[in-house]
Formats: sequence, C-alpha cells, structure tokens
Amino acid sequence: MAHEDGASVEIRGLNKWFGDLHVLRDVDLSVAAGERVVVLGPSGSGKSTLIRCVNGLEAFQEGAVAVGAERREAGRRPPRGGPQLTGMVFQAFNLFPHLTILENCTLAPVWAARRGRADAAEEAMALLQRVRIADQAHKYPAQLSGGQQQRAAIARALAMRPKVMLFDEPTSALDPEMVGEVLDAMVGLAESGMTMIVVTHEMGFAREVADRVVFMDAGEIVEIAPAADFFRAPREARARGFLARVR
Amino acid sequence: MSVVSAIRPSPRAPARRLGVADLAALALLLALAVWLGPPLVRWALLDATWFGESRAACRAGGACWAILTSRWNQIVAGFYPADHLWRVAVAALCLLAGVAPAFRPRGLAILPLAAPLGVIAACAVMGGAGLLPRAPTDYWGGFFLNLLIGLGASIFALPLGILLALGRLSRLPAVKGLSLALIEVVRGAPLIVLLFAASVVAPLFAPGGLTPDKLMRTLVVITFFEAAYMAEAVRGGLMAVPRGQGEAARALGLGIVRAFVLVELPQALRIAMPALMNSFIGLFKDTTLIYVIGLLDVTGVLRNAVTDFAWQGLETEAYIFVALLFWSLCFGLSRWSARLERRLSTDREG
Repeated sequence: MAHEDGASVEIRGLNKWFGDLHVLRDVDLSVAAGERVVVLGPSGSGKSTLIRCVNGLEAFQEGAVAVGAERREAGRRPPRGGPQLTGMVFQAFNLFPHLTILENCTLAPVWAARRGRADAAEEAMALLQRVRIADQAHKYPAQLSGGQQQRAAIARALAMRPKVMLFDEPTSALDPEMVGEVLDAMVGLAESGMTMIVVTHEMGFAREVADRVVFMDAGEIVEIAPAADFFRAPREARARGFLARVR
Repeated sequence: MSVVSAIRPSPRAPARRLGVADLAALALLLALAVWLGPPLVRWALLDATWFGESRAACRAGGACWAILTSRWNQIVAGFYPADHLWRVAVAALCLLAGVAPAFRPRGLAILPLAAPLGVIAACAVMGGAGLLPRAPTDYWGGFFLNLLIGLGASIFALPLGILLALGRLSRLPAVKGLSLALIEVVRGAPLIVLLFAASVVAPLFAPGGLTPDKLMRTLVVITFFEAAYMAEAVRGGLMAVPRGQGEAARALGLGIVRAFVLVELPQALRIAMPALMNSFIGLFKDTTLIYVIGLLDVTGVLRNAVTDFAWQGLETEAYIFVALLFWSLCFGLSRWSARLERRLSTDREG
C-alpha cells in the first residue's frame, strides 16, 4: 500500500453547546501526524460531535481546532468548498444514491478539486481496487451490501487526498458478518501512515490498531492513554466501568 | 451442495384464475361496449360529415366535423396570416426539438443548450428585424398558443419554483417571508383572477402607456402561478433528502452551492417527480383559461366557431375534439414521466 503523509490535529480548549446542553467541555487533544487515535465512550458522550468539529460540519463556541497548517477559531463559519485536509466516513455511509460507485468517488475530485475527469476516474478506480470493490464500480449504492457501501465510502473520502481520516462509528450500522471487511480496509489505511481519528465500539480494532485511546464521558475527555495501557489497566474509574460493561 | 440448492429457481407461482368479481366487471364492460359502441361509431365515423362550408352541409345525421376542417388554420394558429403559417410550423418544430432531449433521462442536463432553438422559434414567429414582416401577438392563437404558453411557462416555472422552495427553507427571515408571501398569495387566488388582474388592472397602474405585451403578461402570470405549486413539490422533495447527503457532500469539500446542485437537488427532484408532473399537466390544461382575457387559444377559437351563425349548436363536436387533443398530450406526458421515473430510480436493488 502506498505511503501517505498524514497531518497533525490540535484541539485546544474546545467548548460546544447545543442550546443549553453543554456537549463538549474544555476538550484538549493533540494527534501527531500519522498517529491512530480511537475515541471510546458511552453514547451521548460527545465523541461524534468532537470529530464533526474537526472537519467543520459543526461550529463550536469556544476554543480552536487546527488540522495541519489550517486553523479554525470558535464561532467561525464552516470551511468553504475546495480540497479539505480531512476525509470523513459516516455511520450511515451517506453514499450518493443517484450516482454510481465510481461517480461517487469522482464527484468531489472533479467539482471541488478541479481535477480532470479521466485522471479522477483513474485514481478512483485505484482506490476502489485498494478497498477491493473495483468490480462494483458501475453499480449504484443500493445494489451493494452494507460492507461494500462502507468500503466505497472510504474510497470516496480518500479520493480527495485527505491528510486526516475521521471515522464516525463506521461499523455500527453493519450486519456483524460485514464488520470484518470494513475493519480490514481501515487497518490497511492505518498501515499507510494516514492520521486517523476513529470513533468506534470495536474494541478489537482499538486494541490492535490504535496508538492511543481517548476515553470520553459527558462531553469531556476522561482519560488519554496508549492503547495497550488503557486496555490493561485504565486509570479512571469511569473508564474501568465502561470497559467492564462492553466486555 | 447447499449453495447449489440455494440458487435453485423458485417454483413458478400458480396462474391467477379469474374470480367472480373479474367476470362481473368484464361482463359489464362488454355490455357497455355492445350498447354504446355501434351508435358511437355510426355517429362519429359512418354518418359523419367531414367537409363543408356551414352547418347546412351536415345532413347525414352524424357528427359535423366540418366545423373543424373548415377552421383548421385557426385551430392550429389562430389568426396568424395564412400565407405565413410556415413560420409557426418552424417555431413549433424548434420548440419540440428543444425539449426533445428531456425525453432521455441524461438529456435533462443539456436542456439549457436548447436556448438557441428558442431564439430561432421566437424570431420565426415574431418576425421583425427587417427579415420577416412583424406578426403582432394579437394574431397568435389556436393550439400553437397553448403549446407556446405551456412550454414557455414550464421552462421558467421549474427554476423559479426551485428558487422559491429554497427561499422558503432559508434561515434569513426576509427571504423566507418574501418567498412564503409570494407562494401563498399566488396559490391562494384563482388563476382566472390573476389573469384578469394582469390584463385589466395592471395597465391602469402602469406608467404612461408602458404596458408590456398581453401575451407576455399572461406568460408571466402563469409562470408564477405554476411556480408557486412547484415550489411546494420541490420543498417536499428537499425535505425528504436525508441530512447526511448534504453533510457528506460538504465533508468532501463541495461548497454549499455545489452540494445543493450536484447532490441534494437531483435527489429532491426525483422524489418530487410525480408531484411536478402533476403541475406540468395542470399547467398545460390551464392554458385554456386565457380565453377569459381575450387571447384566442384552441378553446377560444372553437367557442367563437360554435357561436358563429353558420356553425351554431355544434358544441359537442368542438369540445370532444378539445378533450381528445388535451387528453392525448397529457396522457403522453404521464407515460413519459412514468418512464423517466423508472429510469431515474437507482435505489432499487438488482
């Protein structure tokens, strides 16, 4: 697999409210270039909101987020169109149902990154090959299984040549027998040196692939630890309770 | 072994047999056909009179289609000068060629390229510019007028409807309020009233004889009227597109405009397709209302004909013709939209 250079992510003093609900509290997190971080925590703990703040899908009221050399302050509008440093994979895949798999992967490269159609298609086919669904390129999303759709969504995000990949519970909407193929694609990506922030409930993936684990609860980061240490002996009581429940 | 048995074709379902209700319905239809068929055929075809100079020619007791043949030019193009009818034909051909790409699903995208054809059509039928004698719009009429207003208003009403739908969904209070007001006012008034307002009231307030052409005013009114309905259909479609679609598009770096045009709008239009087709068909039939402001469309021409002393009392023939004309076009439109819907549905498996 080709080597890619990731970018670093710096989150400083991040605070976010939905109305009166304080969903992110003083979040600080540094992710080094090429590092793989898994975010764990009970539902409603703010994991998804955190990574949505990183790529600008959510605005926030206090703090700052920097991806590589791009820095975004609180209250600013989400980034405008154009090539993004982050790529995102959603729980519900969110493939465009009116376009074929290949068109899904070339739409943004052609319209947002202004690449030629032929080049974009060639690169998209290479990416589809990489997630092993090149033979499905001319089908529509509804004709694919959930696992295939999610792999297509990974290829679509990679087609914009991101420096950081964000995963929002990428296997939670899948039938159990399809989880493996998506995780395999993510492991392959991790080996290529991409910076990854992964919100997931897949403990096996976290244990094997993550450099560090971030444990969140009630909108704040409770514990950050190397994956091996976290799973062997979590420091915080809340993390211990969470691990006891999911095991 | 289990794999082989899994792909064994399923046993064919037993053929459905006709039930009592089916037989009863069939018998009823047959009885109706036997009862009404022969007299209808005799009246409409066998005993009909096809040509003649006045009602007096129709002595056979059947339908008097002579009223149509003797005024065919007017039915087609109103009082357009007879020796210039070829210009109407050119314009009609251009218009039809312009919308032809829309009959292929992918062709919708190249519809804007048809604009030059529209210009040619307009030049041919209007004349002027020293090449062709001018033919004022007062002369225009007949079915050509229905086609012209129907096509013209359709082409402008859809984009306007999309803008109004967007305006209604806008977070800016002024934009939202204005769109909502326009939609509700236009949708709440009968089209006849709006046409009257445009033809009678508007000139009273227009400064110093500066009244645009009556046909133009009609076109504007019908466009806005239909756009208000289409806006609601499009809004329904937009609200049915999952939020994740726009988010995925923006996460990929498509700005909000491209995310809307390339991702959300195509899906919304597909969802709104049946409702939009309803509007297009309604619009086309609404073009017959322009007779109330003195424009002579095909219904207007025939209304005049049946009040003419020579043809008095032939409403049946005249309106059967109008009904068949509109039915065949609207039926064609609905078949086309059904085909388009099938071709556009990519969310079906297999």
